[in-house]
Amino acid sequence: MHIPDGFLSPTVTVPAWGAAAPLWYWAVRRNFGASATESLPVVGALTAIAFVVQSIMIPVPGGTSAHLTGVAILAFLYNPGVAFVCESLVLLLQALFFGAGGFTVLGVNALAMGLVGPGVAWLVFRALRPLWPRVAAFAGAYAGIQVATLSVALVLGLQNRLASDYMPVPFAVMLPAMMVPSLTVVGIVEGLYTVATLSLLRRARLLDAP
Amino acid sequence: MATVPACECRGKARAVLAALGILAVAPPVLAHEVLHEVQRGRAVAVHAWIHDGEDLANAQAEVFSPADGSIPYWSGRTDRSGWLAFVPDVPGRWRVRIVDSTGHGLDTAIEVAAPGTGGVASETAPETAPSGLTAAAVLLRPLVGVVLIAVVFGLLYLRRRRPGP
Repeated sequence: MHIPDGFLSPTVTVPAWGAAAPLWYWAVRRNFGASATESLPVVGALTAIAFVVQSIMIPVPGGTSAHLTGVAILAFLYNPGVAFVCESLVLLLQALFFGAGGFTVLGVNALAMGLVGPGVAWLVFRALRPLWPRVAAFAGAYAGIQVATLSVALVLGLQNRLASDYMPVPFAVMLPAMMVPSLTVVGIVEGLYTVATLSLLRRARLLDAP
Repeated sequence: MATVPACECRGKARAVLAALGILAVAPPVLAHEVLHEVQRGRAVAVHAWIHDGEDLANAQAEVFSPADGSIPYWSGRTDRSGWLAFVPDVPGRWRVRIVDSTGHGLDTAIEVAAPGTGGVASETAPETAPSGLTAAAVLLRPLVGVVLIAVVFGLLYLRRRRPGP
């Protein structure tokens, strides 16, 4: 799902950095201050697990593969701002040390996979939790990854319209190629992973997991 | 003794003249014959795959010459094993872009030295090794990531726990 360096023009990457930078500042100030000290070990562990699950490729029909994000759970347990910062850290490490994604596209990837996706996941989770807590976690995680994938596809499609020499694949080709695996496989696995992790946290009494 | 009719002689003469005429115009036709030669070791081959080992097969690919970075020197698709190959005509930093339909791909540069300085294989020796991750690195990648994240959060935790002035 990561957009690599060189696939987006500065027309897209610079505004994305411009939007992401103040949000990073705000989210770090709000969620990682002195009052958050006791939650740091759990947040760090869940961030590390998110890194691991993003390294595991899931084969999907059609001969391609995809991966989970694993950050919706951070939005459920804390808030979308925590998920945004943690996913941004994962993306930064992947870009700097592993050649996945990239630094110029970090703003776009972070906004799509770290903010929009977990934000929608959190909204769905909050809306459904009073009625069906477990369904809420599954539905939230499922919706979150769909929106994140759709956001990435929209950005790449926009880039194709703006300058196809950066992104030669048109939106009409890319949308089904990205969304079909996401809707049929990745979303379901992401939902199951999120429900299972919340259940484990509850049983381990690590925190008051919802 | 049988005699050949005069009209038959004229017919044969016309046929010979026609054959000569065809031969006369043949050289320009032969100029369109496609010839070929085989040169080993001139091409630069690039293999693209995702870190789990899956080849980036049938993906759109473009190669840009250092002499012209705007118009692709070569364009096409990777083969079913994720390979593309091109024959550089000038030394320098060549750019290779591969994009699959799901947005995965790479945009990288490959150094090509001047011809006659040791052959393509040695010229591009740094690029003959996988530019991404080796199999061992693929296995170590999650572990390295976990360690880096633990360091970041550990330092943050210690900083927050430090008593203020």
